[in-house]
Formats: sequence, structure tokens, C-alpha cells
Amino acid sequence: MPVVTASLALIIFLAGTVAGGLGALLGLGGGVFLVPFLNLVLGFPFGVAAAISLTTVIATSSSVSAARAGKQLINMKLGMLLEVATAGGSLLGGVTAQMIAQGTLQKLFGILSAIVAMIMLTRITRRNVILDPNIDPGVLGGRYHEDESGGTVTYRVRRLPVAIVASFFAGNVSSLLGIGGGFIKVPVLNAWCGIPLRAAAATSAFMIGVTATAGAVIYYGHGQLPAALAATAVLGVQLGSWAGMRFGASASVKWLKILMAAVLFIISVMMFSRGLR
Amino acid sequence: MNRATDTAAEGAARRLETVVGGVLRAGVMLSSVCLAIGLLLSLSGSAASAAALVLQIGILVLLATPVARVLVSTVQYISERDWPFASLTLIVLVELLASVVAALIFNKKL
Repeated sequence: MPVVTASLALIIFLAGTVAGGLGALLGLGGGVFLVPFLNLVLGFPFGVAAAISLTTVIATSSSVSAARAGKQLINMKLGMLLEVATAGGSLLGGVTAQMIAQGTLQKLFGILSAIVAMIMLTRITRRNVILDPNIDPGVLGGRYHEDESGGTVTYRVRRLPVAIVASFFAGNVSSLLGIGGGFIKVPVLNAWCGIPLRAAAATSAFMIGVTATAGAVIYYGHGQLPAALAATAVLGVQLGSWAGMRFGASASVKWLKILMAAVLFIISVMMFSRGLR
Repeated sequence: MNRATDTAAEGAARRLETVVGGVLRAGVMLSSVCLAIGLLLSLSGSAASAAALVLQIGILVLLATPVARVLVSTVQYISERDWPFASLTLIVLVELLASVVAALIFNKKL
């Protein structure tokens, strides 16, 4: 286990701040940036990097969702339904991690994130918004006030089985690789299930806490969670996500989509090349 | 849809959001304070055992926060007799409990 020095603590704190800021902007949770940094740059064992990242994912999810609660942006009913799938996937991820070669998983992960990024780019102008506020959103749909357009956005959930399968897979990947899994759920919910990007990101960020907890508890039991390093990363991510939230309110949906697609391509290349080793 | 039931459902959703938001905020604040104090103690080099204890408490509060959030949701759905969602959140709680059991099993093996 790495020794905690003041300089190492500072580096991890700053990395956490950047990861948290980007995570809050994109609704990703920040883990997608932190795991490669801790594993590839600082040379931590993959399990330790994943465990630290999962604790920051929990902290981001909790603080971001606490700040958003009351704005109707988080679709709680849909989130709680999909949590059954993500938590199940996360649990199973702990077991399957022992059976599948890491390289195979990383290559699969690389291919998948590239596909999702392309879906995001091809659907950049689609908003899936039903403008009539009197329409019935159904049990799982939602309604929220959007500051950008000054109007009420109402949506229905389409293709629920797709959302459930994607959530299960996201939970599985989360537990295996130490990320939130939002990068799978957000594009799927947005592109296929008719949920506006903001609501999809808020709902995903809300669910990620439960998903990451199911995985983090197992790493904690393994003794792979160095408390001091996790503390540093968590505090950095808290600061970053607070800053990201402030900036995120003024960032446009189109920019969020382009930024997210670019991030997905970078992750794809990194994961694939790592899997080839 | 009936207008009256629609408003009732929206009111219930709003109450749940407030309660859930409060639980998340409290959990994040408590764990962040513990982690910050524990970190400062361990970096100062004094009181190593106290530092380790406070850090562990901070991590455990952090891990318990989403569980507490699901728990209050379950209670709220039961009190509103929303059985489908009471069942769904209960399943999530069972899954989280299963991960604790898995962690304990792995811990014994190692």
C-alpha cells in the first residue's frame, strides 16, 4: 500500500478536484478519470484505484443529488426501479471479476464506450422533449422546469427493458472497473429511452451512489481501501463537483453532449490499448 | 388521469425528494468532516490510532449514506402504501445487504 505523504495527498486531492469537476459537468461521477490516473499515472494496483474511485463516486452522487433534490430533475421512481438492476449487476461484478481476464474486459469496455460515443454524436440535435406540458408523463416519466428555455419539460419513458439491461450492465462494469457507470446509462437513457439529457444525467448520478456502494463494500472487505488516500480523493472530488455544478448550470446541452463524446473516445482508446498488453 | 390523484402523487414525490435530499446532505457532511479531521491528524503525524479511527468512521458513514437513502425511501413508500415501489426499494436493500455478506465472506477467506 502506498505511503501517505503530504505531497501524495496534494496530488490526489488535485486529481480528485479535476475528476469531480468533469464528473459533475457530465453526470459521469468522476471515476472514469480517477481510475486511469491512480492506476496508470500513480501506479496503484488496479483494485486499490477502483476502490478509491468508488468511494469518490459515492460522495459525488450523494452531494450532487442532495443539491438537486427538490428540483424534480432527478427521476426518483425510474432511478429506484433501475437501481434493482444496477445493484444486482454490481454484486455480480464482484464475482465475475474473478473469472474473466482483465484484458478481455478492458477491450470489451473500449469497444462499448466508442459505440456509445458515436451514438451521442449522431443524436446531438435530438432532444426527445415533449413540449406540451399537459401531456401525461405516466408512472415513470417526469416533468421539470428548464431555466434555459424557461419552459416546462415533460417526458415519458420509452423502451424500459433497454434501460433495465443497460443499468444491469452499467452496475456490472462499475463494480469491475471502479467507475460509476453513468457513461453507459446516460447515453442509453437519453438516446433510446426518451429522457432529456439533464434528467438522464441527474437520475444516473442519483443511482450511482447505490451502485458504487455495492461494489465498494466488497473492496473494503478485501482490505483494498486505504482510508487516508480515499479521504484525500473524496475531499478533492467534493470540491471539484461543487465547482462543476456551478458551471454546469450555464453549460448548454449541446456542449455537454460533445464533451461527453470526446471523453468517451479517449477512455475507449486507453482501455483498449491497456487490454492488449 | 384524475387531477386529484395526480396532485397527491406529485406531493408525495416532492416530500420524498426533500427527505432523501436531507439524508444525503447529512451523510456527506458528516463523512466529509470525519475524513478531513482524520486526514489532518494523520498528516500531522500525532495521534495515529485516533486518526485511523476517525478515517474509518468517515469511510463507513460514506458507505452507509446511500443505504440510508434507500431505507428512508422504503419507509416512505410503505407509509404511502405504494407497494410496487416499496418492494423495489426493499429488493435494493437486500442486494446491498448481500454485498456486505459477500465482503464478510471474502474477508474471512483472505
